[in-house]
Formats: sequence, C-alpha cells, structure tokens
Amino acid sequence: MVSIEDIASEKDAALQRIAAASSSTELDSVRVAVLGKKGTLTQLLRNMAAIPASEKASVGRAINATKAAVEQTLEDKAQALKAAELIERTQAQAVDVSLPGRTLPLGSQHLISRITAEIIEVFHGIGYRVAEGSEADTDYYNFTALNTPADHPARGLQDTFYLRDLSGDTASIAGESDAQLRPQTSGVQVHTMENEKPPIYILAPGRVYRRDVADPSHLPQFTQIEGLVVDSGITFGDLKGTLEYFCREVFGPDRRTRFRPHFFPFTEPSAEVDVSCGICNGAGCRFCGGTGWLEILGCGMVDPNVFAYVDIDPEVYSGFAFGLGVERIACLKYDIPDLRMLLAGDMRFLRQF
Amino acid sequence: MKVSYNWLSTMVDVLPNAKTLAERLDMTGTAVDDLSSIGASLDGIVVGHILERRRHPNADTLWVTTVDVGRHNQDEDGQNQPLQIVCGAQNFKAGDKVPVALVGSVVPTGQRIKKSKLRGVESCGMNCSVSELGLGTDAAGIMILPDDAEVGMPLAQHLRTSDTILDLEITPNRPDCMSMLGIAREVGAILERPYHLGRKITTPPTADSVENYVRVTIADPGRCRRYTARVIKGVRIGPSPPWLAERVTAAGTRSINNIVDVTNYIMYELGQPLHAFDLNTLVKDEQGRVHIVVRAAEEGEAFTTLDGVDRALSSDMTVIVDGNANNGAGVPIALAGVMGGLDSEVTDTTVDILLESATFDSGHTSRTSRSLQLFSEASARYERGVDDATCDEFSARAAALMAEVSNGSVCAGVVDTYPAPRVIPRLRLHTERLQRFVGADIAPEDSVAILRRLGCVVTKAGEKDTVFWVVPPSYRPDLEREIDLYEEVLRVWGMERVVPTLPGGEGRVGRRSAKQRTLDRIGSTLRALGLNETMTYAFAATDDQERLGMPWATGTVPVELLNPINSEQAVMRASIIPGLLRSVAYNQNRGVANVHLYELGTVFLGVPTQKLPTERQVLATVLAGSWTRPGWNMSASLLDFFDVKALIENLARELGITKLAFEPLDAEAAPWLQAGQAACVKAGSNMLGWLGQLHPLAVAAFGAEPAVLAFELEVEALLSAACDRRAYQDVSAFPAVELDLAIVVDESVSAEEALSVTKAAGGALLQEVHLFDVFRDIEKIGPDKKSLALSLSYRAQDRTLTLSEVEKLQARVVRKLSGSLGATLRS
Repeated sequence: MVSIEDIASEKDAALQRIAAASSSTELDSVRVAVLGKKGTLTQLLRNMAAIPASEKASVGRAINATKAAVEQTLEDKAQALKAAELIERTQAQAVDVSLPGRTLPLGSQHLISRITAEIIEVFHGIGYRVAEGSEADTDYYNFTALNTPADHPARGLQDTFYLRDLSGDTASIAGESDAQLRPQTSGVQVHTMENEKPPIYILAPGRVYRRDVADPSHLPQFTQIEGLVVDSGITFGDLKGTLEYFCREVFGPDRRTRFRPHFFPFTEPSAEVDVSCGICNGAGCRFCGGTGWLEILGCGMVDPNVFAYVDIDPEVYSGFAFGLGVERIACLKYDIPDLRMLLAGDMRFLRQF
Repeated sequence: MKVSYNWLSTMVDVLPNAKTLAERLDMTGTAVDDLSSIGASLDGIVVGHILERRRHPNADTLWVTTVDVGRHNQDEDGQNQPLQIVCGAQNFKAGDKVPVALVGSVVPTGQRIKKSKLRGVESCGMNCSVSELGLGTDAAGIMILPDDAEVGMPLAQHLRTSDTILDLEITPNRPDCMSMLGIAREVGAILERPYHLGRKITTPPTADSVENYVRVTIADPGRCRRYTARVIKGVRIGPSPPWLAERVTAAGTRSINNIVDVTNYIMYELGQPLHAFDLNTLVKDEQGRVHIVVRAAEEGEAFTTLDGVDRALSSDMTVIVDGNANNGAGVPIALAGVMGGLDSEVTDTTVDILLESATFDSGHTSRTSRSLQLFSEASARYERGVDDATCDEFSARAAALMAEVSNGSVCAGVVDTYPAPRVIPRLRLHTERLQRFVGADIAPEDSVAILRRLGCVVTKAGEKDTVFWVVPPSYRPDLEREIDLYEEVLRVWGMERVVPTLPGGEGRVGRRSAKQRTLDRIGSTLRALGLNETMTYAFAATDDQERLGMPWATGTVPVELLNPINSEQAVMRASIIPGLLRSVAYNQNRGVANVHLYELGTVFLGVPTQKLPTERQVLATVLAGSWTRPGWNMSASLLDFFDVKALIENLARELGITKLAFEPLDAEAAPWLQAGQAACVKAGSNMLGWLGQLHPLAVAAFGAEPAVLAFELEVEALLSAACDRRAYQDVSAFPAVELDLAIVVDESVSAEEALSVTKAAGGALLQEVHLFDVFRDIEKIGPDKKSLALSLSYRAQDRTLTLSEVEKLQARVVRKLSGSLGATLRS
C-alpha cells in the first residue's frame, strides 16, 4: 500500500540524494535509482494498482507531482553541475598567455622596394603612371637625347659602366662604349616621350649604375625614381608645388623644402631640393652637417633641346622632371649607417622592415 | 674650385662674412661643398724666442733649448716661464725667433705633440720646420722667423695665413666661374657690389720684338680658335715671392718656381690656362725663329707628357708642335689643352720663356682627357670652354708678372693668331613669357637689371616694354637661348619667391598597370608564405655560372663590363642564384641558419652581333635550414624539396595559373641541382622555370652549407600564365562520399601518374583526390615497390550519391590503376 506519507518521504529522500550528487555521473545514477525502470518512484507508480479506487486519484496526483518535482530538481541540478564542470574544465585549460604564439614564417619586404612602393603610391594619388625601361641602354638614351652630347662637359661628371658592344661598333673614346648600364632612369623618359603624346605624367623607378666603389655611403648600383610631366602651361611653380607635396607626404607635414639653383643638362632651369632636417628641425645638427637641410633630389624644367630630340613642340608644351635616390631616402628616414647592408641579404637586417 | 676668402675680398667691395657669402652662393646656383679655415691647421703653434741653446748631455746631434713662448707657459703665480725643448736642427742660434708647437697641439703633418723625454732629457714642445708646418718642402732645419716677430703670437696670425677657403662646386655650364675673376663677377652680380681685378702689373717691354723669335700656324681652326705667343727673356728661375706662393697654395696647388707659379696664378685669377715653354729647347730657323704649329696628332704618334709618361696619341687629339724640329717635320711639344711635354719644360736653367695663351676646342680636349685618363686644371677649363676674347689681355698680364718676379724682360708685342673668333649670339627676351614659364610676376625691369648685372648688354627690341635684345658677355658661352636667360633671371631673382602650385591638367589617372599589379601580388604572396625580399648585386664574377654548374643558354655569351670595379664584379649576372648563395653564406657565417630569401630582378645575356644584352626579369628563391626555430609547442623540421615546391604551388594558385606541372630534370639537364631532387615547372606547355635542391658542390663553391633549396622562374612566363579571371563553381549542397584506397606500385611510377589515372577513371563525380601517405617496406610490400594511400572524395552537384554508385566508380578506378600502372590493391 502506498500512502501519501510514503510518497512524501520518498520525495524527500530523492531530493536529498539529488542535492548530494557532486557530479553529472553521480546525478545520472540518482536519476536511474529514482526514475529508472527499477527506480524507487517508478516502483511506487507500479504499485498504484493496489490502491483503492477512492484514493487512486489523490495518490496518483501526489506521485505525478512528486515525479515532476524530482524531474525539475534533477534538471536544475544537472544544469548547475554542468556549469560548474565547465568552469572546472576551462580552468584546467588555462595557459600562460605570455608564452609565445605558434610561429608562422611571415616574410618581409626589402626596405628599398617598400619605400619605392610608398613613393609610387604618393604619385598615383596625383595622377602619375609608372613607366619602365631596360637597365642597359645606348649612349643616345643615356646621354645624347638628354641634351648631353658626346663632348658635353657633364659627360665627365658621371662615371658610367660600359658594356662590351657585341654589334662590332666602336666608341670614339678609348675605353668607352655605346652599350652602357644606365646611370639614371632618364632614358625611360625619352622612350616615353618618343612613344606617347602629352599630357605625360610618369614616374620611372628602377635600378641604376655608377662606377663608385661600395662603401658605407656609396653603392655601384642603386635605385632611382624619376618623374616627368609634359603638359601645356606647366610652370616652375608647378614643379615646386609637386615636390613640396611629395616631401610632406613622405617626410611628414612639418617638413619644409628649399630649392637651390643647380645645373643638369636635361633641365633648364635646374634646382636641387633640400628638406628641412627632421632631427634638429632646421636649426643645424650633426645629422645634417650643421646646415639644417638635407639634400634629397634634383629637378628642373625640361630643356627645349630635349623636346627637340623627341619631337615635342616647346612652343605648345612645357614640363618638368625630377629624380631622387631611394637609398638616400632610406638613409634619411631610417638612419641606415652602411648602404652595403641593403645588398648583403642579412636576415636580421631584412626582417626589421 | 677652391676660393680664398682673403683673395676674393681684394676683388669685391664690402664682402659679407664667409658664412653669409656661402649661403647666398648656395641659393643662387654655386654650391659650397665646404668651408674650411686655414689658420686652424696651425692652432697651438706660436712664435717662440730661443733664449739658450745647450748640447744634449747624451747625444751629439741634439740641442736642449730654452724657449720663451710668452703667456703660453706660466707658473702658479701667473709668471711667464720658458719651456725646455729638445731639438735636432742645426740651423739656429740663441736669440732666433722660431715656430713652437705647444704640448697638446697637432701639427699639420698629423703628429700630436706630447711632453716626452728624449735621451733622458725632458722636452715640452717642438720647434718646427717649414715642412712640419705644411708651409713648404724645406725639412732641413727649423723655420727661422724675422727678429721682429712677436713672442707668443699665434703663428697663423703672425704669418697672416688666417683665411677661409670656400670649396665651390662649379657646374659644367659655368666656365666663367673657374677663376677668381669669375667668382668676383658672380658675387658682384648676386650681391649688387662692384668688383675689380687685383693690382695693375706693368713691366715696360723691350724694343726687341716677339716677331723675331716666334711664328705660329694653326693648321685646323676647328681645334684652336686663337693662339697667342709672348716671349720673356733673361728670366732667373727661383722660388716665388711669398705672396705668390701663398696664393697658388690657397688655390690648391703646390708652389713650384716663379715662372710655373705665374702660369698657375693667372689661370686661377683669370681662368686662362697658360703654358710656359723653355724657348731654347725649341729649334730655330735661319732667321732665329721657332715655329709653333697647332695640328691634329697623327694616329699612334708618340709623346712624353710632363709627368714622364709615354703616350700614344690618336688623330682626335691636338698637339702643339715644334715646327722646325726633325728637319722641319715637327715634333710635338705639348698635348693641347691638357699637358705640356717633358722635353720643353721649364727647368732651373731656363733663361727664355715662350708663353702660350690659347683657346682650344672643348670637345677635343674633353675626349683627349677621357681617352688618356689624364685630367689637369687646364683641361678642366678647356673642357668647359675658355673665352677667346681675353686670351691676349690675360697673356699680357702673365708676361708682365713673370718679368716682375724673375727679373726678366718682356719682348714687345704678341704673335696673335686668331682665325675663328666665337660668334656671340643676340638673344630675344620676352618677359611675359618668362613670367608664364616661371609662374611668378617678375617685373620686366627686374629681369633687365639682373641680366645687366651679369654682364649682358640689354636693349629694347621695338616698341613693347616686354621684349628686349640681350647680348651676353663673351665669358658666358652657356647663354645661347632665351631659356638660358630665364634661368639666370630666376636664380638671381630667387627660386624661393616662386609660389608653389600643382599642375592643373585634366583627365589623368594614376594607377598600376596589370603587369605591376601582378608583380605586386607575386611579392605579397611570397612574403605571406614566409620569404624575405632581398636585393643582391647585378654584377657577377666571370666564373659564377661555371661555379654554379649552370650552362649558358644556347647562343648567349657573358655580358662583360669594359670598366669593372673589381674581378668579382666583372660581368653582369646571368642568374640570381650565385648572389643569393652568397647571402646564404653571409647568414650562415653569422650563425643565422634559417634563410628564406627571394629576389625579383634582372639577368643579362649577351647575344653576338646584338649591341645591347637581352634582359630578363627573373624571380629566384633560396631556402636553407628550417622555416622556424623549434618552439615550446612545435618542432622545426629541415626544409626540403617539398617546401620549395609548395611555394610554387601556392604562388600558382594565387596567380590563377592552371595546368601547373612538375617534370623531373636529370643531372645532364640541370647539373647545378642534386640529381633526383630537380624538376622543371610548366604551365601547360609553357616553361616557367626550375626548382630543386642545389647541388652540394655548387653550394660549397659559394661558401655556403647544404642543403639549399632554390627555384628560378621567368617573370614573363609567369605573367603570361597568370590569369585574373576565376571561374565560379557551384558549391554542392549534397554530402560527399569519401573512400580511401591504398595501392602498391613500382617505384618508377610517379605520384603524378597515379593521381592522373585516378582522376581520369573517377570521372566528373570524383571531386578531389588527396594523397595522404607514401609507404615503403621490403617485407610487407616488396623490393622496388611503394604503397600510395589516396583519399577519394565523390560528390554530385544535384543529388546525394548512393554507396553502390560510388563503389562502382571506385572499382573502375582500381581497374584502371591496375591496367595502366600495374597497381595492386594493398590489403
């Protein structure tokens, strides 16, 4: 006979066992012991048949209520245990976050191509395209068409590398040759002016060669970026404005520029451009040799003789050109003490950038 | 050009201080490379008075002197005390005034003066010789100063050598600035100050005419526009007076003797190169006259220049010839515009001088200098252009000065052969156009004033106030066109005054080309894969290809430099690998074992009969060591063939290159690679390049340690195989059925063959084949056999595949593998 009291005490006993369960596994065994096929509460239900009809309804309700309560408590307890166990488990998985991450071998861009890309980006922004040319070129493109004919005194200025001319031609000067490593990328400008009509807004980056023995401040091969604009109504003021914009973009908005008249055969008038020293801000220090200025590029208005070589009418068009050494910019921006590091392939150097 | 500030201040009125002057020169087109103070080299050297001279107790040739140096040596009470100085010279006596280098000073020879003991006697300073002070060559004894020299006065002050030297960079277009006169003119123009020559030099000529001694013939006026000759008789060769020696020293040359110093002095002062011949070394005709001929050298003609070097001349060079010599056939006595000859040089016994002042053509001079690698102060001036208008005037000044300093006498007159005066152009100046060109409102009167200050004659051309005629001075051959006048006006008016603007042209777009985008993508992909970009020399040693074991491409030869810097860089590289191997060695030698480098650069191939080499863009990589060092949570396996192969596979995927295929290369085809770990890579039939493990001997030949993995790919081939377009494929919503398959094949069967047979047999429903194991075991599998384990993934786009459907396909795969490759299923 099942009495209401039995049910109540069974409920109490079940709830106590649930409360005492300390793990999900233990709780599962409680569930089986109470609600399983042979569980205590299940047994009570099985005995319902023996209960007089008059009590059946009330006993049945009590049992069902008890079952629901036990199930609810079990569920609550299961949730609580699960939560506690999750916390336990995650605590066990805690790591020393200061340990290094799993290494992925990410590579680096060479400082020179990084700066080149940065400068190209600046000029893309004001409408320039990139033009390219070969590293070996003839005397005509390296000198003559740049208004530096064979006898021009400027020819003695640059120490050009000469290649053996396999066509059988011989140069008029002993030891020289018509086949040369380009001493500047200006030849690209001539090729461009031959092949395209103005307006021309180009940048010619590339490797150039001069016969300097490698030392901390010289390399026989280095990287130059030249720019050329040919359009109608281009003024010297446009040249100044363009290069001032460039200097602010590359060196920072506070840097000033100055233009010093100079001579280049390719341009007339010509100038050298200095940017104010970033260390002393123009006051003069060791970095800038006490002048407050750092020389960064050469420029000028395209000489009408150059236009004549490429058949552009100087009465209609004017233009300007400029050239800078990327290695020089690298030295100024990153204080590289020895240019030869740029060609050594030292992993410890390359991976700094 | 070196300019003495003291000298310049005698030629320009109210010169500002050297620093201000340098700044102004800098901003008007004459760069000042350096400012140096001459007196500074004599710091710490003072006038001393020898009070006493005793024999050194331990050395016969040494003296112990007591020298008063005034306030430079004082005792504790502030009383002047003489110094004890040990001295080895013999040419002095007590009472002489001498230069004393104090303890702590550094004499111009670089010697630092310290307190020391000489043979046991203390010495606190040094009595200096002329050569120790850098003031001359006399090293025989100490320098004796005049009796009235003030004791204790700094020597520089006593000698009045305190001066500032401005080292000016004279641009090639400014021949006029190659002299003190030219600099004075320039400074006068930019500072708006008057300038003038130094003192007038006049020596009354004798009645004896120069015509009695010399006649001149210019055979080719194209090479010599003007030749003047003067004769100075009865000179006494000796040292120059101090002012003259000081001036030529300040200009940066050595003082040689009074005659040679005058030729140098006038060249520095006025820009006219001069040459003094010993008249009596030249052959006279019956009338007693020498015959100077200016002509082209004969091809191969021999000549010994002043520096004692025998030279073979070419017909492009110009020589001055002693026309009567060699029975009238003539013998060269000077290389025109470059250097005089040894045989007619002025010596200690010279009595009569033939003075040449001429204008030689710049082109011939420049080529001669470059051909002979012989550069002189004269050739530097002729190369830029020497003014023919003043040839004679400047020669007269030189002759007078020679007579003055050598007690000679100048013969009356000049032999002046002037067949080809330079035509000075008359230029038009449009000031409105100048304003438009510069982008600044430069007033017409300002332009005119500037040009006049620069020596131009400016007159109005017609009615308008904006058009002028400009005639440049004879010394400005660079002013040939109107644009040249714009430059002059702009540089003096001030570039800093021009307002910056940006070009206003329309319709231009700055962007990367398709090629540049692909190149950028190659770089970013390789860096993401772990490679570091580098740059190596484009030069190579002659035997680099041989050391690497890489043969020359058919029909190509090395690209030789005619003037290499050294033998390690004598040719242009034909491969990037030698340079990268040197970088591997560089890293390994410094304890960096893990090296991952790539370079995208140019290689050069010479082609017989072709003027310029063929240039190819190449992408090259080297790998050595491991990807990373072992970590606390990961191991680091050594890099192998499949690491370098994976780079190419990933790169190809990123560039959209399809039909990528790797084919083995044997030792004959690729001797620079280790046999069995060498392959070429293709996109379809298009050869991209090679990859593999570099041969251990090739690696060692460049000082590196194996193993080094590498690839070299042709950029053009990569670019043409690359494809921006990607074809979209539906992602199936239905599940795949995965079945594994292990087959045993002969060693000779490649994985590639197994995979392609599998794919062909599996048909369209076989979506992916993944090779996940290669296993060898003589016992279990047998000799010369290997087992390949494949995971096959079947999937349909439109339905879930049934197992029986898939099993049928799988059975066909097995059949085909067995039929084509002799594969057996491994149980």
